[in-house]
Amino acid sequence: MSQGVLDRSTFEAIETYVLDRMSALDRAAFEQRMAGDAALCAEVELEKENIRAVELGGVTRMLKEIAAEGTVSDTNMAQGGWKQYLKYAAIVAIVLSGSLWLLRPSANERLFAEHFIADPGLPVAMSSTDDPIFADAMVSYKEGHYAQARAKWSPLLQKEPMNDTLRYYIASAWLAEGDAIAAIPLLEGMVDDPSSALRAKARWFLLLAYVRAGESAKAKAVELDTDPVYGERVRAIKAQLER
Amino acid sequence: MVYSASPLEATATDIASQPVWVVGLHRNDPATIRALYAKHFPAIKHYVLQNSGTGNDAQDMFQEAMTVLWMSVKEGRFVPDAEPGGFLYRVAKNKWLDVVRSAAHKHMKVVHDDRALDHRIDAPDDIEERIVRLRGVYDTLDDKCRMVLDQFYFERKDLATIAAGMGVEEESIRTIKYRCMMKLRGFRKAISGEDMEEA
Repeated sequence: MSQGVLDRSTFEAIETYVLDRMSALDRAAFEQRMAGDAALCAEVELEKENIRAVELGGVTRMLKEIAAEGTVSDTNMAQGGWKQYLKYAAIVAIVLSGSLWLLRPSANERLFAEHFIADPGLPVAMSSTDDPIFADAMVSYKEGHYAQARAKWSPLLQKEPMNDTLRYYIASAWLAEGDAIAAIPLLEGMVDDPSSALRAKARWFLLLAYVRAGESAKAKAVELDTDPVYGERVRAIKAQLER
Repeated sequence: MVYSASPLEATATDIASQPVWVVGLHRNDPATIRALYAKHFPAIKHYVLQNSGTGNDAQDMFQEAMTVLWMSVKEGRFVPDAEPGGFLYRVAKNKWLDVVRSAAHKHMKVVHDDRALDHRIDAPDDIEERIVRLRGVYDTLDDKCRMVLDQFYFERKDLATIAAGMGVEEESIRTIKYRCMMKLRGFRKAISGEDMEEA
């Protein structure tokens, strides 16, 4: 394989693995295959490197764009006299008015804000001794101290990475702080678990997270249209995304 | 054979407890990159301007430092503090001192050169070598490939969104992506082949 052509399905399987988009089951099978296939391992490493090269190109481009947007020339102001100051004043005025325009929330951000309400949290008994750390974090969460709650829950999640309650409430805390990017991987990992009692709620939050992150195509693909609780709102949001 | 490959991406559990800016860099989040730029560029600009540089020099140094930070986070090469400002400042400052000391800039005067104190430099040399090597790989791509691959792998757009933006079918984008990645693969294979012949 390493000397010849890499067929598309193998390329895409490697890509899915490298981008961490495989299910746990598929990942285990793929890693088992790699363990006995040195050529496949080499292809995985090569594809990982090539994707990193593309990402590096992207971050370089973005940094240049940011600099170009905000650059103020460093030429000696004294050389140009007071007319130079007029030029900069004009630039500042344009940038300020442009910033006010750009700082307006996008249509997706407005849609998210219209629909997102943080989960109210679970009841915590004062005498709770089953899991005092979880309960303590839940108190912080309910008081709106989301970062504090996350900090308390995170070690618990590390011990139990597939715990759907922890994933859901940590994601809810991220969303409450407007950070959809951080919430998405937590929710993506639990929406297909039919045994989870939080499945529908997690799908609803995942849809909203995609909306907030500008991932409209993914938001539209979330299957919740017929849900008795969320269906109507889901259909309304999807209709808005179509416009 | 010892299996050592790992996914490119940190898993959700890995990043759940990381500072927000680390999570953002992992995901190439534009808002995070902009926020880091806005927050930490002024200190570096001040240093470069104070040491005979221009605003453009400062931008160059800062962008290089940001790239080193991004790569270090992506590769899990250092455990970041809550604030990346110190790291960015040290990397940018050392890069500027390298410029100042180069033959073309011998006339420049350095106001503050406490580089000896900074020799516990956070960014290992191999990160910078890796950046140079990967840029060489990226440079082999044509504009069309860059446009598609950048949107898919860097901006994390899905194929349908890219296709809609470019006014083509999703399957076309999938094919372009595959062909472009095979070009990179071919280039890398050619390079490694040359290396083997030289050896």
